[in-house]
Amino acid sequence: MSERLRIALTKGRLQEKSVELFEAMGLDCSPVKNPGRRLIHPLPNAGLDVVLAKAPDVITYVEHGVCDMGVVGKDTILEKGGAFYEVLDLKFGKCRFALAVKKGSDFYGTYKTRRIASKYPNVTRAFFEQKGMDVDIIKIEGSVELAPILELADGIVDIVETGATLRENGLAPIEEVAQVSARLIVNPASMKLRKGQIGQFIAQCEGHLGKRTKIAP
Amino acid sequence: MNVHINTPEGTRDRMFAECLERRQVQGALVELFRRRGYTEVITPEVEFYDLFVQSGTPIPQESMLKIIDRSGKIMVMRPDCTPPIARVAATKLKGQPLPQRLYYDQTVFRSGQAHQGGSIEIAQCGIEMIGAVGEKADLEIVVMAVDTLRACGMKRFHIEVGHAGFYRALAAQMALPTEELEKMRTAIEGKNYALLNDLLEPYRGKPACEALRRLPYLFGGVEVLDEAERLAGTNESLGYLRRLYEELSAAEYGEYVRFDLGLVHQLDYYTGMVFRGYVEGVGAPVISGGRYDGLMEQFGREAEAIGFAVDVDAVGACLKVEISKLDTVIHYSPGQLSRALAVVDRRPAGSCELSPCRTIESTMNLAREKGAAKVLILIGGEERWVEV
Repeated sequence: MSERLRIALTKGRLQEKSVELFEAMGLDCSPVKNPGRRLIHPLPNAGLDVVLAKAPDVITYVEHGVCDMGVVGKDTILEKGGAFYEVLDLKFGKCRFALAVKKGSDFYGTYKTRRIASKYPNVTRAFFEQKGMDVDIIKIEGSVELAPILELADGIVDIVETGATLRENGLAPIEEVAQVSARLIVNPASMKLRKGQIGQFIAQCEGHLGKRTKIAP
Repeated sequence: MNVHINTPEGTRDRMFAECLERRQVQGALVELFRRRGYTEVITPEVEFYDLFVQSGTPIPQESMLKIIDRSGKIMVMRPDCTPPIARVAATKLKGQPLPQRLYYDQTVFRSGQAHQGGSIEIAQCGIEMIGAVGEKADLEIVVMAVDTLRACGMKRFHIEVGHAGFYRALAAQMALPTEELEKMRTAIEGKNYALLNDLLEPYRGKPACEALRRLPYLFGGVEVLDEAERLAGTNESLGYLRRLYEELSAAEYGEYVRFDLGLVHQLDYYTGMVFRGYVEGVGAPVISGGRYDGLMEQFGREAEAIGFAVDVDAVGACLKVEISKLDTVIHYSPGQLSRALAVVDRRPAGSCELSPCRTIESTMNLAREKGAAKVLILIGGEERWVEV
């Protein structure tokens, strides 16, 4: 079987890091770097087509089997879930989910039901459920930091990289919710039907990850 | 009142070729099942919610479509065919000698998340063999799964077999707390190699550790069993799968069979062999089945059970079905109906139809509108063909 494999990359930073990894693996990624108006980018001299998509769509495409593989952040996986194999931690795109509150406020020191603002309601629910705590969750689409400042919420659950944005807005992380990094996901049927091709790709990625600890997160 | 002209999300109207695809698959499967001695049962579309909870079905509560009946009892639209059939076999068929071979051709209802493109209504055909245990029974079911896809004209497919006992034996050697165990199982099921490695790191010294670490990789051809044996030593489930494979090969079914020892889903439900069927070009398994020897007991009859369900529309979508194009319209005068029908009945279905018009002109217009090539005119004793 020599049909082409199709991989969906999360647009933006994960895309750049994935391209770095693929280039280290010896793949010519020039079509992805100069995408033009095309949406599917066949890599020359490799049986691989690259599709660029927003993070949740990467999962959707892989789940439905129209892409065999995908590169997507653990944050999206935790929030969206789905039926796919999560085969590799690619070690880039590292950050963490944290619970942050107004500096100096005592989040746990009250019996009142706390209200949490987040772009990730499912992650937030799972986190507090596992603590056995009832909270009100408010879904915010944009800058979540605004919610505690405007006193809409007692805290936020969000992605934290350096913590600078939090600090500037008088917020402080008080608890880690989960570690996040980019993952390689695979459609289960593709994995079974094209074991050789996909297995080889995974092994190649894995091999180069070992060597590449120098790449910044 | 506002009339809803759309169907509810997750449901759809099926038309023409889509219906034919479904019927073709159902027809092929039912013919096969009957030929191999399976008889049909039809169970209600609506059942008590408790039935499914009691059966230990792996369908989550939130996926069941619920109805409250007049007395306030909770009912669900059948989310799974197997528990109702187990109920029938344990009650109404209690006096019948075992094994019983049953088949069904029904719809199951599972509500998914919004906007995921999934269907609430899933057409399933499947079989259940009640009261038979051991290699021959399992062999028959795997062979049935292969023949099912062959009967539908599938070419590139395979049935992937695993065994709940292999993982159980390994996990038992680890003596882990339940929570850790469940994390490990999930990591294996999701082929999450990285997480599994981290989870197993503290238990490096334990004998089953290496085999568990490799478990998500243990899928593919029969060589998988060799590797598993090297890692885990001789093991009852492995020996079983190997004998099964030998029998399958001897019957010339070996080429359709693969293994995945990392099939560790729904372990409370499955007690032995588990399997799935994959067809090239379909992103999800089209067959799912296994052995659930604990199920019948939930309904008060001790008997083993094994079976599988086929996702009819997923298989149907692989078929190239075309509706035949209308070719001929027949215009007939009074008294000529039987002659006209005789012509229609000789033609391929859908290629020829009667004109309800009184005049030849109207019939010609009709034929033009419908894209037919010819009109056959039957007037008195004569017969005339006219090109449109």
